[in-house]
Amino acid sequence: MSIIEIENLCKSYRVYQKKEGVWAGIRGLFHREYREVAAVRGVNLRVESGEFVAFLGPNGAGKTTTLKLLSGVITPTSGTVSVMGFVPWHRDDAYRRRFALVMGQKNQLWWDLPATDSFRLHQHIYNIPGAVFERTRDELTEMLDVRHLLGQPVRELSLGERMKMELIAALLHSPEMLFLDEPTIGLDVVAQHKIQQFLKHYQNQRRTTILLTSHYMKDIAALCKRVVVIANGSIHYDGSLAGIIDRFSGDKVVTLQLDERTDFASVAKLPGSVEIEPPRIKFRVPRDEVARVLGELLDRYQVTDVIVEDPPLEEVIASMFLEAAQQEPELVGAANGRPTR
Amino acid sequence: MADRAGEGRAQPVKALMRNDLKQSDLTATGSPLRRYWRVFATFARNSIIRDMSFRSDFILQSITSVSWAVMNYVLFKLIYRFTTSIGPDTGWQENEFFVFLGTVWVINGSIQLLFMGNFDEFSDLIRTGGLDFALLKPIDTQFLISFPRMNWSQVPNIVLGILLVVTSMNAMWSDSSKGAWFTWWTVPAYVFFVGCGITIMYSVMISLASTSIWLGRNQNLYDFWFYITNFYRYPMEIYQRGSLGWALWGTFTFVIPILVVSNVPARVLANPLGGPWNAWEWSLVGLTLAMTLASLILSRLVFRSALNSYRSASS
Repeated sequence: MSIIEIENLCKSYRVYQKKEGVWAGIRGLFHREYREVAAVRGVNLRVESGEFVAFLGPNGAGKTTTLKLLSGVITPTSGTVSVMGFVPWHRDDAYRRRFALVMGQKNQLWWDLPATDSFRLHQHIYNIPGAVFERTRDELTEMLDVRHLLGQPVRELSLGERMKMELIAALLHSPEMLFLDEPTIGLDVVAQHKIQQFLKHYQNQRRTTILLTSHYMKDIAALCKRVVVIANGSIHYDGSLAGIIDRFSGDKVVTLQLDERTDFASVAKLPGSVEIEPPRIKFRVPRDEVARVLGELLDRYQVTDVIVEDPPLEEVIASMFLEAAQQEPELVGAANGRPTR
Repeated sequence: MADRAGEGRAQPVKALMRNDLKQSDLTATGSPLRRYWRVFATFARNSIIRDMSFRSDFILQSITSVSWAVMNYVLFKLIYRFTTSIGPDTGWQENEFFVFLGTVWVINGSIQLLFMGNFDEFSDLIRTGGLDFALLKPIDTQFLISFPRMNWSQVPNIVLGILLVVTSMNAMWSDSSKGAWFTWWTVPAYVFFVGCGITIMYSVMISLASTSIWLGRNQNLYDFWFYITNFYRYPMEIYQRGSLGWALWGTFTFVIPILVVSNVPARVLANPLGGPWNAWEWSLVGLTLAMTLASLILSRLVFRSALNSYRSASS
């Protein structure tokens, strides 16, 4: 049995439609119009113990809603979820003892107190024996290199430092399952890198099952072997990061460096050219024609260098999101943990 | 900052994590009651640390609430220059009344010390989605949101209330006819009924705070608190005249039972009518017990069903 089993999960919200203007506002006191917003529609997913899975998707795709459903914060409209054998929204203490949720945009530490006081509170809430608590806390602070900051009020920490403290607070009870919602949002590259490294190491050591959502491709590339792309509330892809390019982009990008004396104006007119910065020119070529096109170009021009590469991941994903947005939800609703188009 | 020092490239994180802990090692044994007590004590401790780090604000708040109490006291002192008792045969003479007033201060102060601030913040927790974190913890959610931030600046008020009760009782005793009814259980009973009163107020306030889950926003909690505490600051006999008075009395005794909150403990201690209790007084005591239990159960139901409607907020 998989550690997470999600079947046909749906969550929709009723949202009050507020119209512009004072009159509309007053009318709204008596008669309100609502709109159903489907945040998650028919998600099916299985995650095995010890996996590190990334949820990738544009804003409003349903990633956070899915994590909230998995952690039992909200109740679904329909569908079933089992995490470690528990139904999350029943909020069993036995379940809540075994997972943690970290949200990059929200903080749970006491703002005006040093983090160490919040940690103590967690110790008692999770009923962690003193010796175990101290050992775990010391290990985590050591790993994240924040021991010297323990006594400083949280409001005086930098965003990166605060995020580290949030992570420690979430890990004190040694959860078997960790949900991370954009843990590196707003952090600088260095802090991001530190957090990534920590997570990687921690997961390696503890074999914790981790679900992560992020907008930063770097986070995902560094950490997750498996990527689940969510857009419009349903799964569009489930597989490796590299697989996304194979699946969703049939093109390669060919960059040529030409001799200085080439007539760049005529080269620019060639089909498939996307960018010219003399002496470089970039083409976008269908994968199975790369050899033929490259051969012709080499014949015709003085070429000093050639690079053939996959299109940038961000670009592929952006176009995938766009495509997803244009599709009818019914068509993609059947996504069954496999890529659908 | 050490965080920033020499970090251009990857440094291996020290391999410190140990993997030898079993799930059973991670949970301490011991009764759940002790665990709740420890969490409660940590709330209290953390709140003191926080309040002390904003010293001037703390002192200012204490002064404000104490001066309000003192003005209240002076006002009633003045009123008792014009009369000896509230009504001809209620028994609420000056000393008895000040036992009542002291009790109100103790109850008011305790409510504000323990949970008023938390309930006020509750509506923010709902609007911003901060309630998410409370829902994740393996502990009763209602408990967790009720007591996290205690307002220690209310302590001087409680102390003043106790002082007022003690000195007024003293004054009553020097008046020879009073005090014969005072037995060993009077003080424990007083403390118990103060507890009942606080519990009733807790239930009323948390039910109101819960409505912000449905309303999305509820900034009127303190206003409401002010309105209803206005009614329970006086002995209930003042409502027992005229149809409007009786209507108010009925509402605030049976629907929102705030009159028993202050009246019953004060009666237990001051015994304004003197002598053994009559049937009316005994039935008030019974009513208080029933109301305490009923309001606690009802408020729990309200809170639970409100939680089921919680929809969290944007990421």
